[in-house]
Amino acid sequence: MSTNRITSLLSVGALALASLVTPARGEETVKVGVLHSLSGTMAISETSLRDVLLFTFDEINAKGGVLGKKIEPVVVDGASNWPLFAEKSKQLLEQDKVAVTFGCWTSVSRKSCLPVFEKNNGLLFYPVQYEGEEESKNVAYTAEAVNQQATPAIDYLLAQGVKKFYLLGSDYVYPQTTNLVLLEYLLSKGVPLENIGGGFRKDASGKIISAGKYTPFGHTDYQQIVAEIKQFSAGGGAAVVSTLNGDTNVPFFKEYAASGLTADNCPVVSFSISEDEFRGLPADKLVGQLGCWTYFQSIESAANKKFVADFQAWLAKSKVPGIVKEGRVTCSPMVLSYDGVYLWKACVEKAGSFEVDKVREAWKSGVSFDGPGGKVTTQPNMHLTKNVFIGETRADGQFKILKSFDNVYGEPWLKGKFK
Amino acid sequence: MKAFFRTILLFACFSALGLRAETGREALAKAILEPSDAEKRARLMALAGTRDEAVIPLLELWKKDALFLAPGLDGKPVPVELVGPADADGKRAAQRVDSGRPLLDASGRPLSLSPKGLKSAEHNGALRRAMRTVSDLADLSSPDASKKLRAIAAVGQAQDAEKLPALLNRLEVEQDAAAVKALREAVALIRLGSPDRAVRLAAVRELDALQSLASTDFLAKARVKAEQEKDPGLVAAVRSAELSVGRHRSVVDGAGTLFRSLSLGSILLIVALGLAITFGQMGVINMAHGEMIAIGAYTTYVVQNLFASGLALSPFGFSLSLPGLHATGAAKDAYFLVALPMSFFVAAGAGLLLERTVIRFLYRRPLESLLATWGVSLLLQQGLRLTFGANNVQVGSPAFLSGNWLVADVLLGWNRVFVIAFAACIVLGVWLALTRTSLGLLIRCVTQNRAMAACMGVRTGRVNMLTFALGSGLAGLAGAFLSQIGNVGPSLGQSYIVDSFMVVVAGGVGNLVGTVISALGIGTFDQFTQQYAPAFANAFAGVPVVGGFLQNLAQDSAVFGKILVLCGIILFLQWRPSGLFAARSRSLD
Repeated sequence: MSTNRITSLLSVGALALASLVTPARGEETVKVGVLHSLSGTMAISETSLRDVLLFTFDEINAKGGVLGKKIEPVVVDGASNWPLFAEKSKQLLEQDKVAVTFGCWTSVSRKSCLPVFEKNNGLLFYPVQYEGEEESKNVAYTAEAVNQQATPAIDYLLAQGVKKFYLLGSDYVYPQTTNLVLLEYLLSKGVPLENIGGGFRKDASGKIISAGKYTPFGHTDYQQIVAEIKQFSAGGGAAVVSTLNGDTNVPFFKEYAASGLTADNCPVVSFSISEDEFRGLPADKLVGQLGCWTYFQSIESAANKKFVADFQAWLAKSKVPGIVKEGRVTCSPMVLSYDGVYLWKACVEKAGSFEVDKVREAWKSGVSFDGPGGKVTTQPNMHLTKNVFIGETRADGQFKILKSFDNVYGEPWLKGKFK
Repeated sequence: MKAFFRTILLFACFSALGLRAETGREALAKAILEPSDAEKRARLMALAGTRDEAVIPLLELWKKDALFLAPGLDGKPVPVELVGPADADGKRAAQRVDSGRPLLDASGRPLSLSPKGLKSAEHNGALRRAMRTVSDLADLSSPDASKKLRAIAAVGQAQDAEKLPALLNRLEVEQDAAAVKALREAVALIRLGSPDRAVRLAAVRELDALQSLASTDFLAKARVKAEQEKDPGLVAAVRSAELSVGRHRSVVDGAGTLFRSLSLGSILLIVALGLAITFGQMGVINMAHGEMIAIGAYTTYVVQNLFASGLALSPFGFSLSLPGLHATGAAKDAYFLVALPMSFFVAAGAGLLLERTVIRFLYRRPLESLLATWGVSLLLQQGLRLTFGANNVQVGSPAFLSGNWLVADVLLGWNRVFVIAFAACIVLGVWLALTRTSLGLLIRCVTQNRAMAACMGVRTGRVNMLTFALGSGLAGLAGAFLSQIGNVGPSLGQSYIVDSFMVVVAGGVGNLVGTVISALGIGTFDQFTQQYAPAFANAFAGVPVVGGFLQNLAQDSAVFGKILVLCGIILFLQWRPSGLFAARSRSLD
């Protein structure tokens, strides 16, 4: 009897202890911010990144989380409104006290919340190809720098015998800066100035401050520009380097095809069209045109096949409200988001702490992760060493890989580097 | 069997000894199997001018990923094509690329293979260009005119002296005038690279006479070379040729710009015509006009999918699946001809509904009608988004709209020619409807004086309803056309609403002729500024402040045109507040 009582007492005690522990275990999570536009013009692209981030968190949590803590995402909507990005990051850092934030797509949204991250010593993982000329200790750039996308593409075209380059882009910071770097790069490769099309803008001293032709977002009339490209390419050996963003690509490529220009007589290499963008583009008009990214869904590796299958399986089961389940693909910004989460996990585990300063030290010491696009390694300048692929568009909106460059070092400071 | 092996052995011996020339097929199979890209290209290029007629069709197959690598008996891959009809498993008879004979299995029986399990032979841009050079030489005598012209130009631009005899042979027998001109140009371009001064001089003179636009870069190179060689005679000849080409280019630019102006003007006109009726004739500030355009575009999308494989939609959570006709070829392309009237009627129906439910209560209250129609436009946008998704949908162009004509070096896209003709037709149609039908008479009299018309027994409510439906239907037609040149998405209307109001206001509210002239005027002004802004800015380059400012603007010439148009219209409306053609009326409203 007494033993029974003792046991029952013990079990009550154990229960009490367990009930004390349970809430404590419930608190063993780490808050992580997700800052993307889920409404407005950029929602089409950025929602995919939110989806892949939630998928990654679930995958990590299923395997025990980070340092024994489950990831608890705090998802906020930047609403394609750049000042709102700054407010939302303030909320994430000061109110929610997140350990790290994954977010931003456009350079202007990154520039808008950068001061907030610097003031609060936060950490932002930025996954989308960008123009460089920036290196903040509070941003981990998993994105492609210009030398991990634009210059390899130029190298490829030069090797294919292209002699003339027409620069065309949407009018904002990424195309403008990238084209200036490309201008220097082309000149350094011996391409004369008159073989670079699109026009130049000079300042009072005659220095070129802008190269290429620019159109605003939502531009619809590409007749004149295509006519100019047609003349530019009349003598053969020409290519178009396009940083056109979003749906302006549709009228451009429709006009391009109608004027008889093809990937054979004047190829277009686009830096802003990935698999995800083809969900809204006429892929049949783009067959044979080139793309350059650090990942393509068509990469034939076991890691990639598993990633694609797991993501699709997660989508099918997902209960996130309003999530699109049909016709989903994976693309470079998505994979760089995925890689980013795992790199953060690796850095945290190496540092043994969630503190930003220690995580940054771990990043700078060089951490690697074998992602779907191959191995990525962190660098002291907060960028990533990664593989770069050149692919050509197929009619199904996927890319056929033509060439790969292995382990390209991410270099943000390129202006004035190519002489 | 024995005999067969003996032949193989003999062949092997002969080819090992180099006694027998390699056939085109064999060379091609070797090129396919070659691992190095550079070698592959070299082997391909060596095929140029081959007499083996099987090679060109095989290259076409290769380009289309229809040449496969089958596992051979010795484990090495064998390039094959699949011929004949497919059996139940999708397998077709495999035929060796190197001999054209069936691929045999270990027991000597012909093999059938399914393309699914096979790896297709790799190729990339550089290889396809090499393949093209090979097929270009074959295409010089192609019966297909456009193929022939492209081949001639490509051979000329490669400036490979070895290809000259092929071109000259062709020139002797060529009948077609365009091809003869292209051949002469190509010959001259190749001769321009000749080391012999006399040959080069003759080539320059030939290019001068031909006014060849493609020769610009080549002439510049020749001039630099001649200058280095200190050959003033040649330099002068090249200069003269460059001038002649430049003159021709400015003519082509001018004519091209005029054509593009007309096409942009026609688009503006089509887009604004519906508004000219709803806003111009009826005085309703119809902010939902853009969404009527979007409805027309989405109707085209639905019709296209009904002609193809059907459509699955989930409007507002319900799932709706429409079966398709699975049409192909010309029948599939005919979807557009069905889509045009459909988009008119669907948008007209939507307009009718809008008029009956909202607008008829707001006829004398323009500000409220502005707000109400703006609200309707947001509702419609969201409705489209919920039905068709937030992403743009894809509308293909029928074959008869996706080519182009080249008239004296001026490029006329068929879709652009079509839009001009189409605009002319609907303007004529609307004009006839307004002036030659009884409904038109009623519309005009209600527009001019509603109270008086009502007194005379005109059922103004009914006329209003039909007028609004007509205007909306025209917007729908515009949408059907816009689907051919741009995006189809829920916010399609937003990109055209401002342009539409601009055209109608500048043309003079209530006047059709004004709308036509203002649309064409704005189109012309925009295209000409885009074309000539850089030259214009350069003319002022020396002027301080202004020069730099103009040059900055000129680089963004696509935007520059728009800015100038808007400034022009603001100034113009200061001078004539009621637009080009003011409607005169005795009514006091």
